[in-house]
Amino acid sequence: MNNRLANDRRAMPLPATIAEAIALEMERDPSILCIGEDIGRAGGVFGTTRGLLDRFGRDRVVDAPIAEMAFSGMAVGLAQAGMRPLVEIMFVDFIGVCLEQVYNAAAKIPYMSGGRQRMPIVFKTAGGCIGSAAQHSQCLWGLFAHLPGIKVVAPCNPHDHKGLMAEALRSDDPVVFIEHKDLLLRKGKDFRHHPEVPDEAYTVPMGKAAVVRPGTDVTLATLSLSVEHALEAAETVAAEGISVEVIDLRSIVPLDTDTVARSAASTGRLLVVDEDYLSFGLSAELTLRVIERLGLTGLRQVERLAVPDVPIPAALSLEKAVLPGPDKIAQRLRQMAGGR
Amino acid sequence: MIRANAEGNSGEPVTHARFRRMARMRAFDEACLDALRRGVIHGELHVGLGQEAVAAGMAESLRPEDAVVSSHRNHFHALAKGVDARALLAEICERETGLCRGRGGHMHPFDPATNFSATGIVGASLPVALGYAHAFGMQGGDAVAIGVTGDGGSHTGGFHESMVMAGARRLPLVALVENNALAISVPFSEISPTATVAERSSAYGALGLHVDGTDVDAVARVFAQAMDHARAGRGPVIVEATCHRFRGHFEGDPEGYRPREERRRLREQFDPLTLYRARLEAAGESPDVLDGILAAEKSGMKTLLAEVLEDEMPDPAGALDHVFTDNAGRPA
Repeated sequence: MNNRLANDRRAMPLPATIAEAIALEMERDPSILCIGEDIGRAGGVFGTTRGLLDRFGRDRVVDAPIAEMAFSGMAVGLAQAGMRPLVEIMFVDFIGVCLEQVYNAAAKIPYMSGGRQRMPIVFKTAGGCIGSAAQHSQCLWGLFAHLPGIKVVAPCNPHDHKGLMAEALRSDDPVVFIEHKDLLLRKGKDFRHHPEVPDEAYTVPMGKAAVVRPGTDVTLATLSLSVEHALEAAETVAAEGISVEVIDLRSIVPLDTDTVARSAASTGRLLVVDEDYLSFGLSAELTLRVIERLGLTGLRQVERLAVPDVPIPAALSLEKAVLPGPDKIAQRLRQMAGGR
Repeated sequence: MIRANAEGNSGEPVTHARFRRMARMRAFDEACLDALRRGVIHGELHVGLGQEAVAAGMAESLRPEDAVVSSHRNHFHALAKGVDARALLAEICERETGLCRGRGGHMHPFDPATNFSATGIVGASLPVALGYAHAFGMQGGDAVAIGVTGDGGSHTGGFHESMVMAGARRLPLVALVENNALAISVPFSEISPTATVAERSSAYGALGLHVDGTDVDAVARVFAQAMDHARAGRGPVIVEATCHRFRGHFEGDPEGYRPREERRRLREQFDPLTLYRARLEAAGESPDVLDGILAAEKSGMKTLLAEVLEDEMPDPAGALDHVFTDNAGRPA
């Protein structure tokens, strides 16, 4: 029976796990409500809110018009009125139409109020490349992380999506929760890294990275879909005698420098893989924090692999050329290990 | 004769209460100008002189459970909502004793205790007020959310989107548009597709009301009508109060867009305190009583400013506090 349950769990698509996490929290806390486009009747374009409307009604599951400015700012008012809203921005790229409410209001009000007004809001959104070109493929976690006052999470497996969603909904700080479209569309059995998902509610803390594959030659830090790619690459190069330690950061704010620095201190090599843009982003920030921790001579090699400051192209051949996929990661790992 | 509610002096006639509220608001912003001249307030300061009748008229219909989300020109609305004047003035003067411990400043007062907040981004008050309105709708009472903006803010996308959502769900939202006819320098008549903002209400299934915002009696009457409508669950309202801004958009505004004589003319013709005073005196009110109210409010505010200026500035050691509840997320 337990085995069958576990098997069902493994086959369960990620969106159903996310919907379950939200439902468990909504059940626990009547002040939680969800607002977004197509989240009610349709259950979300990826199915991450399926079933919530029937269970919780239209006051707590609001099918919003295409009016992100209104409904993201609405979350700020709801929070001020004592509620705990979850706002879905369908694709992270759309944040451009309502960034004002996120970074001028939600992110700054706790500080501007001298800590007297909390902003328990989750901005849930889907990012990442699935061949949808420049306006539907970005990650943008670096953008949010750059703006003070927002926590930013981007999980890579069903277990962490469920636990981090619960943690985000229980947090008194605004959290941007970035799902990856490729992971949302992936079959449960196709996850390389798929820790068992408990049936009951549980939390995963923000700011705690996970070592998902131990290794001794190179430390590879990344998050979201790139964890899957990193594991694939690590397996490929393992056959060539290169041992890679893969770290899933899980959140960017807070950023778990400790775990990465500890690993990099022992391997001597750090590769940061980031599906977001290269410049002024996660890869530079994390690398520098590790160097600050270990000193300029604490590492033999530091490398980063990210989208080279170009909009995501439509043609798959071009998209592949700019993304840090498994082949490129493996290639870079070989170069690094070869330099020993 | 009806009696004024909170913030007026208890038991005084409503006429005195209305005059006193306006006098207090004027004295408050004059104290701010005084503090600015002394170099105590930094950054842009937006005072509301000339627009007192709008907030004073609104005050009578506000209940503690209602919410007001105001704009960059927010001091009078805060006083109308019952925000403590001392804490507000201390915040504007950037003191640790301020409403927000000196972190917000004059454009960003937040007072959870009275459901008052503001934003420095024009038009951004409406979406936040919409959130309160949705919460009030869910909570089942008859509290109302008021989003205050200007004629400039009425043109923003967020205003439109918020009215769409409030109209569709018949939420208890009142959009109070203080139409002072100038979006910084640009005249309303040049950029508005409609003669009034209130007439846009039909597009949202909202009630649209227009009022002379220099007449405190008229504002009180019309605003009460708006609040009754929203409280009764009949959906959102746009209240447009036309008024005049006596000073620049901000202190330091060179005001190259209007001649000095125009400013003088507006002060002479449309000062809400002068207008109200004339009405009361014509009805037999003693000038001495009104002078007494003006003098009392003025000296009270002077004392308050003197007190506030004795307060401590925030300790620089706390400059990084209050970003997150747990102080996590800082670069380690």
